[in-house]
Amino acid sequence: MEPRLPRGSAIAPRLARGSAIAPRRARGSAIAPRPAGGSAVSRFLLVRAGDALCALPLEQVRRVVRALIVHALPGSSAELLGLAEFAGEPLPVLELARLVGGAGGSLGGSSVTVVARLGRAEPAEIVGLQADEALEIVELPTPTSSAGGTRGLLAGESLSGGRRVSVLDLAAWAASA
Amino acid sequence: MAIDAQGSRSPMDEAPLAPTGRMAAIWTGWAIGFALLVGGSLLLLAAAPYGAPRWLLPAFLAVVVLVIIAHYLLVVGDHAGTVEPWWSNRDVSRAFAELGSGDLLRGAALARALPESVRATFGGTSAALAALAQRIQDGSIQLAGSAEGVETVSSELASGASQQAASVVQITAAMEELSRTAAQIAQSAVEQADLASRAEGSGLAGASAVEGAVHGLAEVQQQILGMSARADALGTRSKEIFRVLDLITEIAQETHILSLNAAIEAAAAGDRGRRFSVVAEEVRRLAQQTRESVDSVRGLLDEFAGAIRSAVVATEEGSKEVARVLERARAGAHAIGELRDSAAETARVARQISGVTQQQTAASEEVLTTLRDLNQVVQRMSRDLQELSDNAKRLRRVGIATQLLAQTFHLDSPRSLKHVAEQWLERLRALPPAELDVALGELVRTTPFVQCGFFADGEGRGQAIWIRDDPGTAPRREDARRVDVRERSWFRSVRRDRRAVVSEPHTSLAGGEACFTVAVPRLGAGGALEGVVALDVSVSGWTRI
Repeated sequence: MEPRLPRGSAIAPRLARGSAIAPRRARGSAIAPRPAGGSAVSRFLLVRAGDALCALPLEQVRRVVRALIVHALPGSSAELLGLAEFAGEPLPVLELARLVGGAGGSLGGSSVTVVARLGRAEPAEIVGLQADEALEIVELPTPTSSAGGTRGLLAGESLSGGRRVSVLDLAAWAASA
Repeated sequence: MAIDAQGSRSPMDEAPLAPTGRMAAIWTGWAIGFALLVGGSLLLLAAAPYGAPRWLLPAFLAVVVLVIIAHYLLVVGDHAGTVEPWWSNRDVSRAFAELGSGDLLRGAALARALPESVRATFGGTSAALAALAQRIQDGSIQLAGSAEGVETVSSELASGASQQAASVVQITAAMEELSRTAAQIAQSAVEQADLASRAEGSGLAGASAVEGAVHGLAEVQQQILGMSARADALGTRSKEIFRVLDLITEIAQETHILSLNAAIEAAAAGDRGRRFSVVAEEVRRLAQQTRESVDSVRGLLDEFAGAIRSAVVATEEGSKEVARVLERARAGAHAIGELRDSAAETARVARQISGVTQQQTAASEEVLTTLRDLNQVVQRMSRDLQELSDNAKRLRRVGIATQLLAQTFHLDSPRSLKHVAEQWLERLRALPPAELDVALGELVRTTPFVQCGFFADGEGRGQAIWIRDDPGTAPRREDARRVDVRERSWFRSVRRDRRAVVSEPHTSLAGGEACFTVAVPRLGAGGALEGVVALDVSVSGWTRI
């Protein structure tokens, strides 16, 4: 099932205003991937959530922090771990492993929270994605369609270093929610 | 004295009195008187053809006076009262001859015809001789009895001494064996004491070694405990290191996150952030290297910690094992200590046993020496007793010889064998030949000390013989025709001397046993030997006379 933003949350996340951190698509940046043979290459933050490797678009990532202290919300869904405090504001924290369809509960001592933007609007809504480990910044072909053919959180799959990577698109996911 | 074995001599063959000056004078007087008587008779015969002259009668009277004077000179003169008529001297000679031959009874019979004074003197002499003979008989019997007793006792003592000597020899052999055994035991005890001493020394050395081992184990245990403490310290340090590594890991993680954030910010900065993204990438690599280094160090430290844990476990196991070994070593030391004490006690006891056995050996040697001396004494005593027994036998023989000497006297006594034989002869003389055998048997039966009674004719051919095989038993008749005593010395003496004889000891007619024979002749008319009555008295039983 296509992961969706949890509903019923009484607390809507607010994006930081005037943040210089608002992601913008870099143009002509050396960082911007030039697809070989003409395919577009984007930069992704590679994270490990359970057994899955997920690639988050770098422009959608605001910050990577150590795992935040999450306060569980009674009656919430399994993906929503709870609310954490980030920059003085409450931040909903989701378990990325469950979001990508894996088994949860594997958050060890080295877990991280990826603060990501949901959408391109400013101020963007941010959400925390609890993962096991933030690995590296990689360049992957920009996915054009998901493996299931529908755009959602999972934008597609790719290979990085011989490993299968699930490319996520939080904006599309937020837009589809 | 007539002794058959030496050949008897007739008492008549020897002069009862040796001729003296007085006897020469007496005989000269008798010769003159006889000459005168013969001369007178011849004168009367010469004068007879011429008628009887008147001077014949005075001549004959003168002859008679001369004879009377000669008789006075020869008989009444200096020899008055002492010289009897010539026919009394012959009787005196015969009487004293019988006395000299020992036949006091016959001598007394002949002395009855002698004058009173001579007869009294002869009687006194005969009585003295009889008493002397009796005393000699009694003395010989006592001597023989005492000698027999001494011989018996000495034989028993000699036998006992021989047995004792044999026992002493056996005891000596046993004591020698005991002494050898004691010496071996002493030697073994000495060796045992030596072994015990060596064992004691070994025990001391072992105890010392065990004590050293225990001490060493204790030190090892202390070292192990020290090692364990150091291992614990290392473990503690490793934990600190792990904490440091964790801190470094945290720092690396933070650095990594910081690098990612830097990359994110650099990406958000666009072109302006490109150089910053490079720096961020370098930082990320540094963080990655740091993490890798930390992981490597952690791995090494894990290995080190594992080794330390293994070492600690091994140390603990070793410590436990050392404790167990130490406990066993202490128990072994205790046991060795007890063994050492036992060995020391054993050595002490062995030395005591050695000393005692040596003393026993010395005592055994002393006993052996005493037994050897005792053996010599016993053997000497045995020889002395044997010599005493031999002397007793010689005394018995002396007693027998003395008895035989006494029996040469014919006494009027039931203990005089000649008298007994004479009585037998008197009883048998009056019996017809058909009753002679039975009578002889009765005589033998009623005379307990007679072993064999025998009657032979004048030629020595046996007529009757009765034999008593054992003392106290009834005699039995033997076939007299098988007996020929002609070659017996006592028979030859009787036949020659015509008087009773007592023989020297010889083999009895009863066969085998030593005896002496008393034989009396049975004389007929003119002194012819008609028979001989003989009785054998056993040499071993003559004391029953």
